[in-house]
Amino acid sequence: MERIAIISGLRTVMAKAGGSFKTLQADTLGSKLVREVMLRSPIDFAEIDEVIIGNVAQPIHAANIARVIALRAGFPEATPAVTVHRNCASGMEAITTAAARIHSGEGKVYLCGGVESMSNIPLVYSQKMTNLFTKLSRSKTAFDRVHALLGFRPTFLKPIVGLMSGLTDPVSGLLMGSTAEVLARDFGISRETQDAFALESHQKALKASESQRFSQESMAIVYDDFKGAILDHDDGIRKAQSLQKLARLRPFFDKRNGTVTAGNSSQITDAAAAVVVMSESEAKKRNLSPLGYLRAYSYAGLDPKRMGLGPVFSTHELFEQTGLGMKDMELVEINEAFAAQVLACLKAFDSKSFARSHFESAEAVGAIDPEILNVNGGAIALGHPVGMTGTRLVLSILHELKNRGLQRGLATLCIGGGQGASLLLEVE
Amino acid sequence: MEATIQYFEVTIDSQGIGTLTFNTPEKRANVFTHAALKEFEAHLDTLKQDSAIKALFIESAKEAIFIAGADIHEIQAANDEKNITVLVQEGQEIFTKLENLPFPTIAIIDGACLGGGLEMSLSCTYRIATSHPHTRIGLPEVNLGILPGFGGTQRLYPLVGYAKAMELIVGSKLLKGEKALKLGVVDACVPRGYLGFKKQEFSQKILAGTLNKKLLANRKGITWYEKFAPVRSLIGQLARKQVLKKTHGHYPAPLAVIKVMQESFGKSLLDGLKIERDAVTKLALTPISKNLINLFFISEKLKNETFSTARGKEIRQSAIVGTGAMGSGIAWALGNQGINVRLKDINTASVGRAISTIRKIYEGIKKRGRLTEREIALKMDKITFTTEYVGFDTTDFLLEAVSEDINLKQKVFQEFEVVLKPEAIIASNTSSISISELAAKLQYPNRFIGMHFFNPVNRMPLVEIISGEKTDDETIATVVKLTKKMGKTPIKVKESAGFLVNRILLPYLKEAATIFEEGEDIKRIDRVLLDFGMPMGPLALIDKVGVDIGEKVSHILHQAYGERMAPGTLLTKMVEHGWLGQKSGMGFYNHKSNGTEINKKLLKLKTDHVKLDKKTIKNRVLLIMINEAARCLEEDVVDNPGYLDMAMIMGTGFPPFRGGLMRYADEIGINHIITSLKQLQKQHGYRFAPCDLLLGMIENNESFYGGTS
Repeated sequence: MERIAIISGLRTVMAKAGGSFKTLQADTLGSKLVREVMLRSPIDFAEIDEVIIGNVAQPIHAANIARVIALRAGFPEATPAVTVHRNCASGMEAITTAAARIHSGEGKVYLCGGVESMSNIPLVYSQKMTNLFTKLSRSKTAFDRVHALLGFRPTFLKPIVGLMSGLTDPVSGLLMGSTAEVLARDFGISRETQDAFALESHQKALKASESQRFSQESMAIVYDDFKGAILDHDDGIRKAQSLQKLARLRPFFDKRNGTVTAGNSSQITDAAAAVVVMSESEAKKRNLSPLGYLRAYSYAGLDPKRMGLGPVFSTHELFEQTGLGMKDMELVEINEAFAAQVLACLKAFDSKSFARSHFESAEAVGAIDPEILNVNGGAIALGHPVGMTGTRLVLSILHELKNRGLQRGLATLCIGGGQGASLLLEVE
Repeated sequence: MEATIQYFEVTIDSQGIGTLTFNTPEKRANVFTHAALKEFEAHLDTLKQDSAIKALFIESAKEAIFIAGADIHEIQAANDEKNITVLVQEGQEIFTKLENLPFPTIAIIDGACLGGGLEMSLSCTYRIATSHPHTRIGLPEVNLGILPGFGGTQRLYPLVGYAKAMELIVGSKLLKGEKALKLGVVDACVPRGYLGFKKQEFSQKILAGTLNKKLLANRKGITWYEKFAPVRSLIGQLARKQVLKKTHGHYPAPLAVIKVMQESFGKSLLDGLKIERDAVTKLALTPISKNLINLFFISEKLKNETFSTARGKEIRQSAIVGTGAMGSGIAWALGNQGINVRLKDINTASVGRAISTIRKIYEGIKKRGRLTEREIALKMDKITFTTEYVGFDTTDFLLEAVSEDINLKQKVFQEFEVVLKPEAIIASNTSSISISELAAKLQYPNRFIGMHFFNPVNRMPLVEIISGEKTDDETIATVVKLTKKMGKTPIKVKESAGFLVNRILLPYLKEAATIFEEGEDIKRIDRVLLDFGMPMGPLALIDKVGVDIGEKVSHILHQAYGERMAPGTLLTKMVEHGWLGQKSGMGFYNHKSNGTEINKKLLKLKTDHVKLDKKTIKNRVLLIMINEAARCLEEDVVDNPGYLDMAMIMGTGFPPFRGGLMRYADEIGINHIITSLKQLQKQHGYRFAPCDLLLGMIENNESFYGGTS
């Protein structure tokens, strides 16, 4: 299959949820980013066949947020737009959906990306309160209304926290962090190794940030028009992070025996990212020099309780499909949903018995050299705006391959609900 | 013969529903010229005799215009009292005929319905408006120095109430359809597409005899308290006070409206119309009305002015480099019209300030109820920013507003030429640097032009367009088109130091400063010019602009024009003391208190104790300005005296009732000007020497506006 050229792209700087971007709704954030991506790309708005945006917590005021973003970003009314959803892989799903459309000949040029405003995931009234409202609105007489109101109990007012519900697997009933606890137990991953991994993520990200590495891929955002306030850096990276500080944090998901803390989990963050894609031959025809290429991709499903191992499953499939192996990968990005989860993946990738029991294969999928893994840190330092991360990983690994003069890399992430996504990316 | 033109068309359907359609041939607008009125009357006479007619719709065949009013040319041309009275009376009688028709009449208002157009509609039994934005309804006669003379002062208040009617006419307020319905000016307001259904509903109800009370209930009419004479008298007093506060008594028309409404209340329609007629006749003969009407014609001419033969391109993506007060204001004006704007500055902090400025301008508009939060968000979406030279490939138009430093500006242009497409226009908002010099190092100087905006951009309507030696026609046309789209008025001026407005204004400011230096009171000087009608005294204006800016410009003008613009030392000394005006808290006035007290320390800079009479103060500052303006005309800096006058009115607030600077010159007489200038020259030196143009005008007995003065 022909490679998909990723012509250019950008992400916004990443802001901790409830912080700088708290008043920016996802469509506002997304449209600022997409407009800038288009202005900096050699492609005209009118040349885009469709806008495809991944978004998990779709805002109630902007159903099909992709269309809202497209119009606000300056696309002609004639350009269609679709929102895609594959939980944490939504930002990858946008790109691979475009790839499939291009391969099928449906269109030629796509703007794809992901956006998430985790600050703006609403609190929701409970079912009982909702029922009461319904009853009230249907009451015709004052008597009916009084009758309905008499059914009210103060407990009805306890809201459902949208963010928590969204991060809970509805089948297993586990919070995402609890699935990480499962993996920590399965693979015997200690609190200390998790914290050490988390610290390293901050240190690598800090180095990249200070060396202006991230300005290659990110744009500053005005987040308060009145004050003219602009955020021009990723504000989740902690300069003074240390093992001592990490050790002080209480486990969040299993307060008694757990090892997963806020410090060794990905941060809850607001951000957007987008790229312009077309087929390799189309890019050649237009004489463009793409940032890189998507060579192949794969999605796989697994036990929702162990969703964190998704990357192992999808990467196994990717290698089967392409005939390549881990030794061919010069850089690897595994999304850092949780330190425990990445560490579990590393063990599973390197395990013959895991390969035997899950893939009926005698050989391990392939060990990953820590030196090439998440070289600029990951979601533990930068944050994981769920719908956006997939696109960020693609952008980031392509820039890094280019900077280092390398050719091939793997970007993979685990997906809530029990899936994995793996993208094989190349430059030149 | 007039009769060869047919303005109206009449149709009557089988049910007896007539339609009278106003459709002036070969014109964009319908206007009640005398001929049109006469034909209208003839139709009314015929229709009156037709017993088959059950109802009559009056509508317009023009797009976006119902009836734009009476013919202003006829009003301006009428020069004797009798003439005007006859003209007005005829109109009044025709509309009274309309009112007295034996069947109901309905005005179908879809488009501008102004002045005489509304007065005709008010004489109909019913009015239906559309909610389309092009429908604007009102009596704006006061803007032209007259008042509604075809019954407007008599027929509006029974519909909307006494105070409301007064407010609408005095303020020349224009209403959209929905608002007109709310106030009771119209009886129904429908979306344009439903107009057909509404007409059908009306005619059916009229035929069935069921159209009545419910509809009329919408008309507010006189409120119960307005029936008391003391209340009406109070309403009049309050309105008068408001008018005087705004106009300082320079404009008689709004006061006349109040007087007419007060005097005619309770009288018969016929008597009321006579009072109205007498007032409008008097007003129409005043020079103020002639001046305002003249300005109206100049502004209409400017609306169609292209200043070039090229077509001009559409600008979709613009960029601004330099995001200070001017840059932000211009960015707002672009973004507000749906044009994408990319801000470029050296750091994000300045960009942030610009975005804040822009958002605050929108907030002001929101507070006045003109924009919603959603609409503002969509407009803010158009603004992007960068601190690097990226994302400019699609830019069609770049405006430079960095600081006034030729080297810096040239550097910016050269850097931008690398990233801009060759056909993108580059405009400089310079106020003092030569456009040709700025363009000297450009690869494509043909696309370079000057666009001089005035501060604050969101409120000042004037933009001076300055083409350099190599600027091509296409660039001029595009920029003129863009300026109009931004809701501003472009006036092309020839490249010369200070361009037009600042070149004429500065000698005026400087002369005021000199008069102070020689011993006159600060407040007295400003008072004389306020009384003349200026929105602000010259010394207060220097404080507002900035003493340092004034000083800098005076040096530039001195360099360009020599001795007559010699800057003097007062402003320089003030700058040395740090008295820069409003921004530093001290200037001619002490702005640290509330700005009404003078800066007492400044008094020691006086060199003499000369006190002048008011007339001399006025003469010195105004004549030196007229002299410089005449030089501008002599050097073809601007196309004609009319454009010059508009530029001074829009750029400096020169009082419109004076008709403009050159119009004022005509009024006081060129002869008188030269005598005075020569006398001032004797006393104060060369700067008052009358220019050749003025001297030549005397020889040929000319005036700036031809015979009209």
